Amino acid sequence: MNKGYLCLVLHCHLPYVRHPEHENFLEEDWLYEGITETYIPLILLFERLLNDGVDFRLTMSLSPTLISMLGDRLLQDRYIKHINRLIELAHREVERTRWQPEFQHLANMYLGRFYECRNTFERYHRNLADAFKSFQDAGKLEIITCGATHGYLPLMEVVRPSIRAQIKVAVSHYEKALGAKPRGIWLPECGFVPGFDELLKEAGLKYFFSDAHGVLHGSPRPKYGVFAPVYCKGTGVACFGRDLESSKQVWSSIEGYPGDYNYREFYRDIGFDLDYEYIRPYIHPDGVRINTGIKYYRITGSENKQPYNPCAAQEKAAEQAGNFMFNRQKQVEYLCDFMGKKPLIVSPYDAELFGHWWYEGVMWLEFLLRKVVFDQDQIRLVTPSEYLAENPRNQVITPSLSSWGWKGYSEMWLQGANDWIYRHLHAASERMTELAKSYPETGGLVKRALNQALRELLLAQSSDWAFIMGTGTHTSYAVKRTKDHLLRFARLYEDIKAGAIDEGWLSDIEYKDNLFPEIDYRVHQ
Amino acid sequence: MAKVKTQTIKRKATRQRKSVVTREPAKKEIFGAQQVAVEQAKFYPPQQASRPARVMPQELPFGYGQDKIILQVRDPWWIHAYWEVRSQIFDALREQLKDDFYKARRVLRVYDVSYIIFNGKNANRFFDIHIHEHSNNWYIDTGGPGRSWCVDFGLLLADGRFITIVRSNTVATPLAGPSWITDEEWMIPDDAFARLYGMGFGFGRSSPVGKAWQERLKKALFSGVFASPGMASPVKKIPGARKFWLAVNTELIVYGATEPDAKVTVQGNPINLRPDGTFTLRFALPDGKQVIPVKAVSCDNQEERAITPVVNKETK
Repeated sequence: MNKGYLCLVLHCHLPYVRHPEHENFLEEDWLYEGITETYIPLILLFERLLNDGVDFRLTMSLSPTLISMLGDRLLQDRYIKHINRLIELAHREVERTRWQPEFQHLANMYLGRFYECRNTFERYHRNLADAFKSFQDAGKLEIITCGATHGYLPLMEVVRPSIRAQIKVAVSHYEKALGAKPRGIWLPECGFVPGFDELLKEAGLKYFFSDAHGVLHGSPRPKYGVFAPVYCKGTGVACFGRDLESSKQVWSSIEGYPGDYNYREFYRDIGFDLDYEYIRPYIHPDGVRINTGIKYYRITGSENKQPYNPCAAQEKAAEQAGNFMFNRQKQVEYLCDFMGKKPLIVSPYDAELFGHWWYEGVMWLEFLLRKVVFDQDQIRLVTPSEYLAENPRNQVITPSLSSWGWKGYSEMWLQGANDWIYRHLHAASERMTELAKSYPETGGLVKRALNQALRELLLAQSSDWAFIMGTGTHTSYAVKRTKDHLLRFARLYEDIKAGAIDEGWLSDIEYKDNLFPEIDYRVHQ
Repeated sequence: MAKVKTQTIKRKATRQRKSVVTREPAKKEIFGAQQVAVEQAKFYPPQQASRPARVMPQELPFGYGQDKIILQVRDPWWIHAYWEVRSQIFDALREQLKDDFYKARRVLRVYDVSYIIFNGKNANRFFDIHIHEHSNNWYIDTGGPGRSWCVDFGLLLADGRFITIVRSNTVATPLAGPSWITDEEWMIPDDAFARLYGMGFGFGRSSPVGKAWQERLKKALFSGVFASPGMASPVKKIPGARKFWLAVNTELIVYGATEPDAKVTVQGNPINLRPDGTFTLRFALPDGKQVIPVKAVSCDNQEERAITPVVNKETK
């Protein structure tokens, strides 16, 4: 009999970046890197587990913007171009490193991986969301939704219709893409404010996640801390609190696993290391050096970086997976006695940490899942829905305002560098509500303009833009996206009100900002 | 009844971050009017665009012609206010107050409205923050987690009268620690809760309540500390200040030409020729001796040529 549960959650999100108007667009690489380094490795991992009959459980959020990009023809075609270029580069690398066996086997490793990526991508007919769907259909993966464009909801409190739109658009998009209703939601950045649960309930969602203090600072005191979910007072929507002990083993930049000296060094990429003329065809056409994904060194622990050794790294990943499991066993054992019931450990991570940042992360996850399933019986992997089905009686509290961002609240998205956006975002939200009220029924061009207005508003709300502005580096793209969408919205608003919609221009922005084809502006109420 | 008295706030100047209106320098916008016109001409026949085209705004407006103040919660202690008041409102006040207007100060009056239905007069307490004429937003240190707040933007006259220009929404700051309210049905002794609390934050079983949260803040265990949103920005980690460095590597280029249909091997490995029969190979060149036999065989296997460069490389 198990003594407790482990709920692993991977949050997959990328902002909507798609620029058909440019042949090459640097920020589109976020998606291509995500596909090559995180999403496909995860898919291959799930396939291996299924083939080997490993009865694993994992919860995964797929943000609607990510699902949309994965399903977009233009981006799919561009990914093929991207991976073909990488394959070509890897071939050249195999040749170039002929006299350096310590690097050549790595060049071969990348070559193999890039081919595997292309094959996998084609195998799922270029739409990776279908791959994740198949694992959900197999009962191993529970996919949850997220805000439509990952808007940070606590800073929309004064424009509730926008929160409703973020949630409802996400839910209907999920249904269309995955053929079922989502049971849970990953609130963007775990941003929660008491009362949001009403909107979740309205959208048919049964649960969400919050950071530890969302539950621990809730009222009344949660009897089981974060080791059991709570129901929100008044709505009964379940809130799962994040366990920080398990989080910090992976997250912490100081003590976390990814910093092990045997692991691959993220910052030594041939895009920066190699001769400019040689690497020129594989970096940005403007000539800006970028990461290619081919990296030959390990973290080493000093400036004199040593060549990466995949076998040593793999051993380390196995050891650390064992360590993680051991710690959870101890944790669960202690808590089970202490609480007098089986504790639930909720460990959520940004998916892009695995594979992209932490190259061995996917391997670590594979070892962990296999070990937990086969090597012990104290902890059982569980999804939130399964847990709730088995443990329907839980305490009712009001969780606290919280996020999992810097300092635990809203400061990341509300600081000197980005606070200027809210007066514009809120004004646009109010105007959207006004439009939705003014046009309860409409059709034709006006309807198209209204739907596009909501798309532009949602895109402007992506938390990613405020986040990037907050980090203070490479802010120009984030500023530009915020302004572009707000300006497009403003013009749509004016044109609709004036009864003078410019169809040519509307078609153009429909073509550029083409996500959520089925959107209905009336959800913004 | 709250006493109408200005409570001067004695907070360190550094804690009151005055934030200036952040406005990006006007940059070339892709969707400027001209650009739109060009794009329209490109994608659509001109007769469709014959309607006088509405000009695409280049910049976000400074305001929206509204009179309002909006509060948002930043964290348990701080709230942010932004506001907009049309100049007509000030004109009217100037008209009405005459000289007094010029002696008046612009003020944010911050009301603690916890557990009440605020009617403008029944605040638990309030304090004023003097605002510069050109400010349009402010971070307010409430010093009060777990309470509700409402803010008036207005004029404080020399005689102590306060004139409200706009009143904000009400916001509630979250608690900065665990709730003191317990649930009879889900009772837990204090020391037991303290243990769970510390463990939830990942700091073992003995951390006192509240301490764990502070610890966590210090250790910066938050999403986004480790990874940026989405993927990495395409930039290399910047080496520390004044960390001078040099890296030197060598590569060797081997190139040549033969009949386009010949078969060529380099160090025994077949290589592809360009259509004109030339070839170029590029190798990372480590220290030591490299013997590089290049062999070409004619397509009918009748003829063979071999040239073997030998390269010695050393690093001093």
